[in-house]
Amino acid sequence: MKAFEVSYIFRYWPDILPFLGVTFLTVTLSVVFGVALGFVLALGKLSRNKLANIMAAGYTTILRCTPSVVLLFVVYYGLPEMMLGIWGVDINDIQKGVFVIATFSLMFAATMCEVMRSAYESIDKGQYEAAVSIGLNSFQTFRRILLPQCFYVALPNFGNAVIALLKDGALGFTIGFIDIMGKTNLIVSMNYGAHSREIYLGLAFIYWGITILLEKILLRTEKIFGKGKRVLKAD
Amino acid sequence: MLFNTEFFIKTFFTALKGLPVTLKITLMALILSLPLGFLFAVIRLKEKSFAKRMVSVYVSFIRGTPIVVQILVIYSIVPSILSVVIKRFNLPFNIFDINPILYAYIVFTLNTTATLSETFRSALVTVDKGQLEAAEAAGLTRFQGYRRIIIPQALVAAIPNICTTTTNLIKSTSLAFLMTVKDITAVAKVEAAYGYNYIEAYLDIWIIYILICILVEFAFKRLEKRLKVYKTAAAS
Repeated sequence: MKAFEVSYIFRYWPDILPFLGVTFLTVTLSVVFGVALGFVLALGKLSRNKLANIMAAGYTTILRCTPSVVLLFVVYYGLPEMMLGIWGVDINDIQKGVFVIATFSLMFAATMCEVMRSAYESIDKGQYEAAVSIGLNSFQTFRRILLPQCFYVALPNFGNAVIALLKDGALGFTIGFIDIMGKTNLIVSMNYGAHSREIYLGLAFIYWGITILLEKILLRTEKIFGKGKRVLKAD
Repeated sequence: MLFNTEFFIKTFFTALKGLPVTLKITLMALILSLPLGFLFAVIRLKEKSFAKRMVSVYVSFIRGTPIVVQILVIYSIVPSILSVVIKRFNLPFNIFDINPILYAYIVFTLNTTATLSETFRSALVTVDKGQLEAAEAAGLTRFQGYRRIIIPQALVAAIPNICTTTTNLIKSTSLAFLMTVKDITAVAKVEAAYGYNYIEAYLDIWIIYILICILVEFAFKRLEKRLKVYKTAAAS
């Protein structure tokens, strides 16, 4: 067995790093679709309609209990069959990225539903009543009073969910999707597994760096949006 | 291709044969990482020290990298370390005879330890410092104070997070197939590949995972209710 060579940790970074774009694009699109679907689900959970309640709660429970990789396989093998069977649309040649984004949007929506619901419920009801009593209509109240406050409450959870999504996204390689993880895997197999330790460790450092960066950005954003917030201080 | 119901039902029970492996990995990782995570949490609450810095870096690394990458790193590094050890001490077994489940134990223990250390840390700070001082004033040793006063209270705060960690752990064991461990997912993958019945097989394990996780969540809910007795004074 070959000796551990530190230089191999960074040797393939020039080949791997260009694929950061793919990784970020899948994360961004999953966040966009996930937030949209999560918003609908949160409306379902908060609504007075029993059926909407049950459906939204069922969705979040099931998705919470689903391993990402299993959902990815179900979507990857199931979606084309479903499309073919129901609408007669053949999507077998479609890019693998679509399946990855579809899977993680579904996953992210379940998390977002909970994040949005808890943020909404954390806002004092008096805020709504006060806004309505000074003549705002309910859309204006939501847009100008509730949403900004919800946003601030939801921010930490949202950020953590995005970081989790970034890490989960690495699973795309199991269906042959090429992002930084997939590219690393290709490099390892092109080397017939030689120096796989160093190369994978190098990838771990890349992910570690991105996560630390995202956490920094998150803290900064929280500070910016927390400007107008008056917090009860203990001392 | 039509949905093969017969295969769907048959594979459900075939995949269940992988259940003991999944549960074994989960239990082993929990048993090892509960005390380790607690130890790390205590270290992180102490004053500045070298150990504290090491633990912080470790937790940051584990939390900052995808578990797939951790699996691939461990699965490539540990065997080479082991082979060096075996050669050095002339141990009488072959590196290729080692059951890959050992690597799964290592990965998931390392991973869960990091998460649990965060959980315990936040749980320990919810317990008032005066509790330990009072315990010591009443003549308990520091160990007794932790064992009888602090831990039972911290546990109540930690249970929901331990539940989340456990379900996450069960879900991530589905990646053990990357280490050629024959868990539920691996069994289903093999079954599916015979006749390209992927949907049926993956729907099967999807159902199995949902059932396990719901059961685990239910069990933790019960446990939480029972542990609430330690939280009488402050709660009301």
